[in-house]
Amino acid sequence: MTWWRFLAAAELRKILAFRADFWVTFIGQALVQLLIARALWQSIFAANETGVMNGFTLQTMTLYYLIVPIGQKILTGENVGFLSREIYDGTFSRYLIYPLSFFQYKATTYLTHSAFYGIQLVLIFSVYNLLTGTTGFTTLVPGILLFLVAAFAYMSIAMIVELLALWADNIWSLMVLVRFFCLFFGGGYVPLTFFPETVQRALVYTPFPYLVSLPVRTTMGLAQTHEIVRGSLVLLLWALLFHLGAQLIWTRGQYKYTGVGI
Amino acid sequence: MDLIYYAVNIAFFKVLFLHTELIGGWSSEQMMVFVGSYLLVDAVNMTVFSTNMWWLPFYINRGELDYYLTRPISPLFFLSLREFAANSFVNLLVALGIFIHAIAVYSGPWEFGHLVGLVLLLVNGVLIFYCIQMLMIIPVFWTQSARGFVDLFYTLGIAMERPDRIYRGWLRVFFTVIMPFALIASYPARIFLEGFTPEVLFHLTAVSAGLWIIMLGLWRLGLRNYASASS
Repeated sequence: MTWWRFLAAAELRKILAFRADFWVTFIGQALVQLLIARALWQSIFAANETGVMNGFTLQTMTLYYLIVPIGQKILTGENVGFLSREIYDGTFSRYLIYPLSFFQYKATTYLTHSAFYGIQLVLIFSVYNLLTGTTGFTTLVPGILLFLVAAFAYMSIAMIVELLALWADNIWSLMVLVRFFCLFFGGGYVPLTFFPETVQRALVYTPFPYLVSLPVRTTMGLAQTHEIVRGSLVLLLWALLFHLGAQLIWTRGQYKYTGVGI
Repeated sequence: MDLIYYAVNIAFFKVLFLHTELIGGWSSEQMMVFVGSYLLVDAVNMTVFSTNMWWLPFYINRGELDYYLTRPISPLFFLSLREFAANSFVNLLVALGIFIHAIAVYSGPWEFGHLVGLVLLLVNGVLIFYCIQMLMIIPVFWTQSARGFVDLFYTLGIAMERPDRIYRGWLRVFFTVIMPFALIASYPARIFLEGFTPEVLFHLTAVSAGLWIIMLGLWRLGLRNYASASS
């Protein structure tokens, strides 16, 4: 078994270790967020006495909020503190004796989480499709692929912030701040078409729309082919840029690591 | 971090009100009173209970609850209020500022008695929030890991951040009776914005008391199941 398959299998066993947690998280979170979002938008659509708002019907809005919470989990992979915790308690030293670099190790465990949530998305999307028969499955594959690239980009952003733990005593707040920013400006709370025009135009020059909005809209079949192709290229570019940033910070920061912890 | 949470919540409704006049029957101004209310409840919870709630599952799992059970004081009281998050106190002041600002700029009619009612019911809202949080932590006595339930609590917490009138049918029953997140800030805001109604007050009292009794009962049941040794 190659090292990454072994590592991914071990990580999967960890994810599934507490089955009650797993089912509560899987069913509960997705369902609750969907129901609350649907209730809110139902009220807004009713107040406006309209069937379509900024390109969304109530049904497509429901699907949007069905995908967003799982997409968010694909994106954020492991929990906040996946690197900083180890730096703070000194267990980061174990990577010195591992037969693979810490980047390879962390990327594999992180993306295993993302891939696992990707499977959850396939399941939920399939159930929704069977119940409503409103969307096809053809958009699911490019959607999931975009989510995984977005997860790699977000992981690199997270690594940059988490590695700041080599200098700072607390990066938790910063990490949560990044999460809020990515979700809000990525369209995780409200679809980006509802943002003011100027904000939408400005956001095109940031990675945020490509992290959340593009993969969600691609999965839903709302994105045009040229939009997906262009968006994928931009996303790959951002992912590469952030990855290089994380490498640079690691190169500088590793000399700060004492192995003692704080 | 909490300041960003406040900003995102305000921005969320500001963006929505670019496209609608009313949400759940409330205008933008009224919504800000509601937003200020739930941010205040959240800030009080973060300052008073949050740290203690974070550590509770660890104490149960590691068998460290023994130390608290042998003390001549109610373990629930001690464990819930042991640590005061001084760093969150600054955020509490900001949340209070947002709340006061929302009340100050509100141009609709209101009475002083309604404001007092709002403040008192927000205190009750904090207790409801605490009770629900405990209900999500207590299963750790049986399941060993509370993460799924705690995550679910934070997800359900979004229900507190929406006006209760958006919920219809069984969802309304769920969020106003079973997991009464809608009673934390939305009902109190209604008292301020729309005046007292006996039905709302009765509902709030009955559900709050019922929730408190259930939480205490489950806590005692959990303690009976506590094996002391770590798992």
